[in-house]
Amino acid sequence: MNRSRRRNHNTVNAASLARWIVMTAFLALAGLAYVYLTLQLYHLGERRKAVETELATLRTQNDVAAGQIALLTSRTALQRRLKEGYLRMIPVSEGRIVRLTIPARSPDEEAVQPVANPLPQHESK
Amino acid sequence: MNPSSRIRCALVCAAFIGLFSIFSFRLVYLQAIKHDEYAGLAAKTHVHQQVIHAERGIILDANNEVLAHNIPVETVVADATLLSDVHATVDLLNAELEIPSQELAEKLNSGRPYIIIKRKVPAAQANALREKLRAGNLRGIYFEHDATRIYPNGSMLCHVIGFTDFDHHGVQGVEASMEEYLRGQDGFRFIEHNRAGQEIVPYRGQERAPRDGYQVHLTVDLGLQSIVEDEIDAAMKEYSPQKATIILMRPQTGEILAIANRPNFDLNLRSEAKPEQMKNRAIIDMMEPGSTFKIVAAASALNERKLRLDSQLYCENGLWNYGGTALHDHRAFGYLSVRDILVKSSNIGAAKLALSIGDQKFYEYIRRFGFGERTGIELPGEINGVIRPPQAWSKISITRIPMGHEVGVTPLQMTTAMATIANGGKLVTPRIVKSVTASDGKIISSVSPMVLRQVISPETAKQIGGALRGVVSDQGTAAAAAVPGFTIAGKTGTAQKVNPHGGYDHGKYVVSFLGYLPADHPEFVGLVVLDDAHTSKPELNYGGLVAGPIFSHVAEKAARYLDLEPHEEIRKAIPVQRVDKPKPAERSRKVPAERIALTDGSRR
Repeated sequence: MNRSRRRNHNTVNAASLARWIVMTAFLALAGLAYVYLTLQLYHLGERRKAVETELATLRTQNDVAAGQIALLTSRTALQRRLKEGYLRMIPVSEGRIVRLTIPARSPDEEAVQPVANPLPQHESK
Repeated sequence: MNPSSRIRCALVCAAFIGLFSIFSFRLVYLQAIKHDEYAGLAAKTHVHQQVIHAERGIILDANNEVLAHNIPVETVVADATLLSDVHATVDLLNAELEIPSQELAEKLNSGRPYIIIKRKVPAAQANALREKLRAGNLRGIYFEHDATRIYPNGSMLCHVIGFTDFDHHGVQGVEASMEEYLRGQDGFRFIEHNRAGQEIVPYRGQERAPRDGYQVHLTVDLGLQSIVEDEIDAAMKEYSPQKATIILMRPQTGEILAIANRPNFDLNLRSEAKPEQMKNRAIIDMMEPGSTFKIVAAASALNERKLRLDSQLYCENGLWNYGGTALHDHRAFGYLSVRDILVKSSNIGAAKLALSIGDQKFYEYIRRFGFGERTGIELPGEINGVIRPPQAWSKISITRIPMGHEVGVTPLQMTTAMATIANGGKLVTPRIVKSVTASDGKIISSVSPMVLRQVISPETAKQIGGALRGVVSDQGTAAAAAVPGFTIAGKTGTAQKVNPHGGYDHGKYVVSFLGYLPADHPEFVGLVVLDDAHTSKPELNYGGLVAGPIFSHVAEKAARYLDLEPHEEIRKAIPVQRVDKPKPAERSRKVPAERIALTDGSRR
């Protein structure tokens, strides 16, 4: 009985089976990876689009700000504000003028004199 | 298998082979032979070319102060075929964009796929509208990126900067002449949309980045421009002329440092400006220059060595009959040197200078000084002026042209001619564009000074310059143009205004002063022209009395701004008092030259 059953029974080729399993698994994984990567591609595309939109918005805001700065700091605008009294021109005080080199004094110098900070003030800094 | 079965089997196989062969051929036909055609058709349906707009380049002055800038705005567009709720959309747009509901309803019910709702909507307002449309789930409204040009200095330098039209093409000034550089190049991207109209990013096709327009740097210094604008405004207030022009130019390089015309207009409100306000009179207005043109006659005669600076010419005691008509001087001059002819502005003397070299030579010198042709400045619409050839001259033309009659020149041509004297006889092309750079600072193009020709010798130029110093003295016609601390060379002009219908307008004059400072090492040449100035008394309407003081104010402030060192001799001397307008009694004994000539009956 056992002998006849063994005669009728097909032996399983383990190597072949393993090969098929590996191939099937590989194909399945490849399919899943393909689907995953495709979804990733769409997802990253959406992210890219969002970042591009954000960048464009920032650029627009930057351009608007640059335009407003140009308008507010234009010579005409500043002169107008100066006339209206919103701005004042303050003469530079003596202590805030720094000369890198002290020009030599000529004997026939007239009213306009070069300005220099007193030395001790420099040394204390 | 019996034979009939085999035959049937073979027939079925043959039928399948035939069928699949047809399919295969069709497949090859569609995929290979007709590939491009059908791919194109498919692309038309799904693929769109998205334009990526380039930004127009900005315009800057010589010190990088902004003259023209862009501000992003949006255009609100509707697709009436995709509107989900017309009533709600109308209500929202009415509230946000302040457009009447009826107007909106008419537009949105038209069924058209592309309806412009409103242009130049500020970015912040567009964003708020976008959010509200999203919140209300309202479809069919889109936003297109756009930009509007702003001019931070309003009307300052308006004729030079110019402006752009609806499609952002420059139509006037530097905006037009430098269009090629300012415009930039739009980019594009091929994209596909899904059914909801959203882009499918992975399917992006070919893409080209935009190239923004280049930055154009002008030679104009806004500091000097501001001085000139203030002075021309003051002159308009004081004399109410019909038109006025002031130009400052660096003679060695031809750089225009400042240029102002009146009437003018606000570049940000250009739609309200009248055509008369938009004309750049420095280059498109033709005028008879009057006595300022005498420098050409004197330079020609000296350069041809027909006369020396101290050569004496008989000035006929103030009245000379030539060619059957009388030519007058404002005073009875006997013998005058060539120098004194310029200083005292003798018409008879100038006529004799031109006669000494003859028609043809004099004409050649006029042309060599650049009259009768465009200067070549980078501004659109410049005119040639009118210089008739000697064949078209009348018998008396040789006596009238030297005193600036029978010729038509532009203020810029006159400035360039004086710059030639100041520059040792070299004619330099005037220019307003300094350089063109990319936004990263890379220089795309820089304009170098261009010497066109040596018009007169350096010695002659020096001699004329020396004579012109005498004009701004007590003996000259423009004592009021003096600037304390500096020597000035200059020439006055007073020309009766030409009537467009023929002849001259009685009592209307174009007064001018043309000079440079310092006389020894000129830093700038300046021209002041006032057309039909209104003075308190008619006898005050002279170049030396009206335009001279304006030049003096401009030159004094400009010298301070440019930190020019005062002339040593004068600095040590007693400070020079500014020469005010002489009292009528004083003026009556020193009537400027031009007026007498203009009342010459033969001219009418």
